[in-house]
Amino acid sequence: MKQKALKKKRTKAEKREAVWALCFIAPTMIGLIVLNFYPAIDTVWQSFCKTGDFGKGNTFIGFANYLKVFAAGETWHSLWNTIKYALIEVPFGVVIALILAVFLNKKLKGTSLFRTIFFLPMVCAPAAVAMVWKWLYNQQFGLLNNVMGTNVAWISDPKLAWVSIGIIGVWSVIGYNMVLFISGLQEIPGDYYEAAEIDGATGIRQFFHITVPLLSPTTFFIVQTRIIGALTIFDLMFMVMDKTNLALENTQSIVYLFYTYAFTNGNKGYGATIVVFLVIFIMIVTFILQRAEKKLVYHP
Amino acid sequence: MKKLAALLLAILMVATMMAACGGSGDSGDSGSGSKASTITVNIWDSNQQAGIQEIADAWTETSGVKVNVEVVDWDNYWTLLEAGASGGQMPDVFWMHSNTAQMYMENDLLLKLNDYIDEEGLDMSKYYEGVKDLYTRSDGNIYALPKDHDTIALLYNKAIFDEYGVDYPTDEWTWEDMYEAAKAITEGSNGDIYGMAMNTSNNQDGWYNLVYAYGGKVITDDHKGTTIGSDEAKAGMEMMRKLLTVGAPQSVVAETGTDSLFQSNKVGMITQGSWMINSFYTAEFHDDYAWALLPYADRNGNGTCETDERWSAYNGLGWAAAASTADPDSCYSLISYFCSEEGQLKQAELGVTMGGMTGVSDAFANAFEGMDVSAFLKAEDYSLYFRPYTRNTTVWEDALQQAGAFLDPWQNPDDAELMATACDNAQTIIENAIANE
Repeated sequence: MKQKALKKKRTKAEKREAVWALCFIAPTMIGLIVLNFYPAIDTVWQSFCKTGDFGKGNTFIGFANYLKVFAAGETWHSLWNTIKYALIEVPFGVVIALILAVFLNKKLKGTSLFRTIFFLPMVCAPAAVAMVWKWLYNQQFGLLNNVMGTNVAWISDPKLAWVSIGIIGVWSVIGYNMVLFISGLQEIPGDYYEAAEIDGATGIRQFFHITVPLLSPTTFFIVQTRIIGALTIFDLMFMVMDKTNLALENTQSIVYLFYTYAFTNGNKGYGATIVVFLVIFIMIVTFILQRAEKKLVYHP
Repeated sequence: MKKLAALLLAILMVATMMAACGGSGDSGDSGSGSKASTITVNIWDSNQQAGIQEIADAWTETSGVKVNVEVVDWDNYWTLLEAGASGGQMPDVFWMHSNTAQMYMENDLLLKLNDYIDEEGLDMSKYYEGVKDLYTRSDGNIYALPKDHDTIALLYNKAIFDEYGVDYPTDEWTWEDMYEAAKAITEGSNGDIYGMAMNTSNNQDGWYNLVYAYGGKVITDDHKGTTIGSDEAKAGMEMMRKLLTVGAPQSVVAETGTDSLFQSNKVGMITQGSWMINSFYTAEFHDDYAWALLPYADRNGNGTCETDERWSAYNGLGWAAAASTADPDSCYSLISYFCSEEGQLKQAELGVTMGGMTGVSDAFANAFEGMDVSAFLKAEDYSLYFRPYTRNTTVWEDALQQAGAFLDPWQNPDDAELMATACDNAQTIIENAIANE
């Protein structure tokens, strides 16, 4: 019934308003269509093609690319690498950021200085961050091995490299997560804490019984966006790992695989298929997360 | 009235946006031969930038057209050029390479130079044949002029050889001699310094040369096959494996790069191409560096080097112009100046590279005062093979460097079985890649 009521004939003024509304959103819409929607649809189309050089001469080959992508061991290996990266970046990035946020939300001297310091990695270009870490990790001349007096192949040991890469990811993302947590913390009314204090709750109890549940919408938002961010990771592996690195096979992400096929080897169709595969995977993950949201997030 | 004005304004806004988007793409389409004020040149080697700019400036003096030389590093160069080619926005003049030349020529993305060459009466026989052939399409059309050619030599650090009492490399060295010297250095320093270093990515300047010296071929002369799985090639790669057992481990070279290791005095010997001389000539410890001929493989066991026992890769870049350039006349004029005797001599004298034209490279040997680089010229007295290429070289070339191919034996050089398997795998990888081209 409600919908029918809305469909009532518009008045002249309303129509005019609608036209103007369209005019004003047109620039954004055109931008989105040209720069986002069209390439997305074209990517899906290319995934069904054997693509020619320089975007010319694409021939339709149905699901052949998909069959190859699903059959290739490296696809699943890369997907697993990406998940491993997410398993480090998301939990550590969230927990450390939360602890920092709680401390930096207090009225202490120099909070703004520390907030700035922790947020700085977000301001740096990711490529520059990766380059600096690459040199820190260097086995021969790196600062890390020099200071600790060790001789560890941080980024060349296949068993270790994925952790090293994950650490860079955590370091880069803490500041961003922290700022979101701080804004979430400031939404929580102080009354709860006062009441808890009167009842004799310790700081740790307050944290687990007031802060954590009331912050859960923010936490959920961060977890969800970071999972998507981690699944599409590319720049870290690309900048840190040389093509001939022994550990590359165990660290290359699925987007890295896409880059290799689409841009290094010039096989756009196969690359597009990998991307579509990743998009579907992310959609499934997001769907599950959305389902879990009702159970995990506390709605007062 | 107000409404009309607002509408006009809105239309204007949208129109300017469209123009801004479309405008940049147009510049390439006109092709009417209108004279450009600036020509954009893209290259990938920053070592050559200053020299190329100097030669280009000499051309500017007569033509009045400014030249802007931009460097994009090797990996991104091809990504950018391909994206530019697909979107119709290529630099005016740029380098072509054997890895990709065929693909670009077949798709008519490069300016056809035949008419200009005929008009100018340019004698194409002056250029190195392999380089010239590379940029000539099967139908006889020419798409780039030979810019240079390069060869490979052995680079060693005299200070390290002195310290461990090892004799310097000579022109009579076999690959076995190199192994013994590398072994002496690595063992003498207890692994603190490596006798030699080679990454799987050092192909043209590295292990390809062993394959050819022992009688194998990475790509056969018709560019349709390979003999990398043959017994000859396996013998070459077995020698390579031996060298690796006394060289820097793969985990080290993949992180720091053989050139940097050498320049940090961590490595006694590397093999390198003539395009890299400048980088070592200007390095901090350049007084310690010296070049020797690549070692040879004494296949017939007579103790002397026959012509077909010492092989060096050679390759040549081409100067090409975009088919879509706004000013093809100026572009050709610049290219032909780069490849004229004057330009080629200048290139050699400035120590940029050896010439694409024969007979201009002697000046190159004198360009580096205090460093003897004659080994690169002497290599031409023995056997040269053109850098292996097929239509889509990168596909198999990259695969050969990674796990599933030569990265496996490089990772574990003590296992001879792995190297033989890698050669067989390489045979399959190349054959499959060619079949899919």
